[in-house]
Amino acid sequence: MGTYIGQSVKRREDARFLKGAGKYTDDIKLPKMTHSAFVRSPYAHAKILSVDISTAKNADGVVAIFTGSDGCNAFGIPTGWQVDFKNGDTMREPKHPLLAIDKIKHVGEAVAIVIAETQAQARDAVQLVEVEYEELPCVTDPEKAMAKGAPQVHDEWTDNRSFDWCIGNDRADVEAAIAGAHHVTEMEFVNHRLAPNAIEPRSYIADYDVNADKYTLYTSTQNPHLIRLLMCAFTLGIPEHKVRVISYDVGGGFGSKIYHYSEEALLTWAAKEVGRPIKWTSDRSEAFLTDAHGRDHKVYAKMGFDKEGMIVGFLADEFCAMGAYLSTFAPAVPTYLHGTLFQGLYTTPLIHLNVTAPFTHTVPVDAYRGAGRPEATYLLERIVSKGAKEMNIDPAELRLKNFIAPFDGVKQPGYQTQVALQYDSGDYHTILKKGLEKVGYDDFRKEQAEARKNGKLLGIGISTYIEACGIAPSAVVGSLGARAGLYEVGHVRIQPTGKVSVFTGAHSHGQGHETTFSQFVADKLGIPMDDVDIIHGDTEHVAFGMGTYGSRSLAVGGSAIMKSIDKVLEKGAKIAAHKLEAAVEDLEYAEGKWTVKGTDKSIGFGDVALTAYVPHDYPEGVEPGLDFSSFYDPTNFTYPFGCHIAIVEVDADTGKVVIKRFVAVDDVGNVINPMIVDGQIHGGVVQGIGQALLEEVVYDENGQMISGSYMDYAMPRADDVPMIETDRTTTPCPHNPLGVKGAGEAGAIGSTPAVVNAVVDALHHLGVTDIQMPVTPQRVWKAMQQN
Amino acid sequence: MKITGNQSINASPDIIWSKILDPRVMEKITPGIEELEIISEDHYTAISKIKIGPVKGAFKGELTIKDKVENESCVVVLDQKSKIGNAVAEIAMKLVVLDNGETEVQYEGTAKMSGMLATMGQRIIGGVISTLSKQFFKALEKEIESD
Repeated sequence: MGTYIGQSVKRREDARFLKGAGKYTDDIKLPKMTHSAFVRSPYAHAKILSVDISTAKNADGVVAIFTGSDGCNAFGIPTGWQVDFKNGDTMREPKHPLLAIDKIKHVGEAVAIVIAETQAQARDAVQLVEVEYEELPCVTDPEKAMAKGAPQVHDEWTDNRSFDWCIGNDRADVEAAIAGAHHVTEMEFVNHRLAPNAIEPRSYIADYDVNADKYTLYTSTQNPHLIRLLMCAFTLGIPEHKVRVISYDVGGGFGSKIYHYSEEALLTWAAKEVGRPIKWTSDRSEAFLTDAHGRDHKVYAKMGFDKEGMIVGFLADEFCAMGAYLSTFAPAVPTYLHGTLFQGLYTTPLIHLNVTAPFTHTVPVDAYRGAGRPEATYLLERIVSKGAKEMNIDPAELRLKNFIAPFDGVKQPGYQTQVALQYDSGDYHTILKKGLEKVGYDDFRKEQAEARKNGKLLGIGISTYIEACGIAPSAVVGSLGARAGLYEVGHVRIQPTGKVSVFTGAHSHGQGHETTFSQFVADKLGIPMDDVDIIHGDTEHVAFGMGTYGSRSLAVGGSAIMKSIDKVLEKGAKIAAHKLEAAVEDLEYAEGKWTVKGTDKSIGFGDVALTAYVPHDYPEGVEPGLDFSSFYDPTNFTYPFGCHIAIVEVDADTGKVVIKRFVAVDDVGNVINPMIVDGQIHGGVVQGIGQALLEEVVYDENGQMISGSYMDYAMPRADDVPMIETDRTTTPCPHNPLGVKGAGEAGAIGSTPAVVNAVVDALHHLGVTDIQMPVTPQRVWKAMQQN
Repeated sequence: MKITGNQSINASPDIIWSKILDPRVMEKITPGIEELEIISEDHYTAISKIKIGPVKGAFKGELTIKDKVENESCVVVLDQKSKIGNAVAEIAMKLVVLDNGETEVQYEGTAKMSGMLATMGQRIIGGVISTLSKQFFKALEKEIESD
């Protein structure tokens, strides 16, 4: 352990956040800046008969109004992944206009943008735009979207499929194994739709400098370079070197700020048209209607077990909504980020997942904290627990029996799954046992039996998970349909005085990169943390980058920085050797200085840095300067895993579920800052609890979102969660220099099934075997009455 | 969504009928209605202002009364548009004489909302309708008493 790595160093960024001094996009005010507001469709599916802007354009303060026919729609918003049909047919990719032209495909779709001197004037003028619609029948449910005669989202195709897809073993083999199984457990449920709800809504400012012919887009995003790439190369067709994308502080994203949205492209286009900067900040209602949602899978699954309880086959058919258009990562979420995790922690020999991904008249669905892995884990962990109940085997015992044996990925090879991936390293038995011990599993069963006698309904739910993080090896994802590489860039600039500026393509939206990255950079260079600054979020400062999502920042972004540090130290050694009149191989580097082994002759990091920039007495053939940039493309995903256990009490009269304890034991590889990892786990667990008990996006039969405000969309609050008891095991990642696996999504992946398993456990003696999420008091009470 | 309810009024069906179907009275007693303009018999344009929870809107649209059986029943069709969303409703109304001599106004129908009105208002619309109908019937009773 170094000076900083492994220490809970307080977060640097919190000084400004706690003082309200963060720099979010909406805080920025540019000279002559205008404001904008959108005319949005109140219908899910409609023909636009006419758009009349004549009154609105003469309203007070209005600068300009643009509709879909004003030239912004030349190309449309692209998607980043292509998942073709099983039969080889190309994925159906509808044109995604910046402003709807003839037809509306979901409630909230933008029809016009009003640009005015103030935000209030823009919003007032929106009210004056007259749009005549002809409402058409709609479909919002992915399974119903595939029914015969369902309303069509896109007229150019004969059914609503964007693609279908499968992974794993031959379906017939899996079906045969399940048909011959001693016991078969079946499940049918909806992994329901969620709204991401970042605390900072999406916000953009676009500016065009006519003299330099250059655009600047300030945007609240998780990946500024990716936005620039997609917007320039696809949406607007403007040269990339003419666009600068800046993203200072970002107040949460959970995936929803990965994607390239129509508003940012439209503002960029319009900034040139009006010749003034334009700002738009979403309000909460617009966020519900336009931020990409998560989940929305209808699932049918079967798992077969033999006499001893060993899993012999696992089969699932899913309908996974894409929404009205394909968002940036959407096709990858229910496929490559989902099906590839169907092995879980188990030795299941035969697995098959079949996915049908239809368009629906809803806002697009995309990655939301965990992206496909929470959906896979929920299914696996529920069906294993349900199977255990049916076979009357303890759920912990059934898991331990079926777990893959420990492997470190060095002495023992990685584990090859039936679903394409090769796990890097893992010890699943230890982590479950640690969780059981921490929660006091054996004692709990006695307490539960005692409580039942007194009419108290207690339940315990176990969930174990594995996830694929650190996305991703470019060649692998390229073969899977990704249209971009998923490497990362790390640039380490040693200033002449030995102070260090680190430029990273990863982009914090709350993860604390400025702290964590400084910790390991300072340790590796043997210098104080205060000598290191982390710079991100500006395409003009950072060479390139893929951003932050998929728990990739440290595993991929950190590794890129490590590569540059290696280069710095390698060159520094040459300079040091010259100054010390020694051979490079006779030097060792520690605590910020190069020392000639076995002597007290040494030179400090700062002196070497100064020499590099003032190369008067300098080694021959070595360039001045100490400044290196590296691209790091991982060789594999990383595979964090863990065990989450919830204890709940169900109120027998009202059906209300209270989580009494929550134990999260996670293995995220090496840990740089335990406090930050715990914080990530806490946040993720609460989000997972939100899905299990509270949150749900509901569309009515007319495609209206009737849970589009905090009156109806129940976010978890402080009193919905207990103190979260975290613990860890550490199985280093064998294939990246820091040995880290990623911690951003683990909490949201492990927690949801733990809570629902606990509720079912509490009610099982009443005949309840399954319950649909969110597990509201009403649902619980009904389930209790029906049995 | 479904809209149902009933209210008994101490008056005979023909009095209630004459009041409810009189556009001038309707304009006066229906909460939120600011203007009712006659297009033809039983066919009006209505302008109203209604607050539903956090959303407030100025509605404009048509109101039609059809399937009239005098002093017994009719169907009210509303098609209202606003900047916060649109509402379409079809409500069947029946007048039933009770044993105690009072008349019960029974209504039943469906409403379809869109836009912000649906997003923000759907959950509480039931409560709003019940409040508005209470106001309506109170005003109706007052109107009958004042004769």
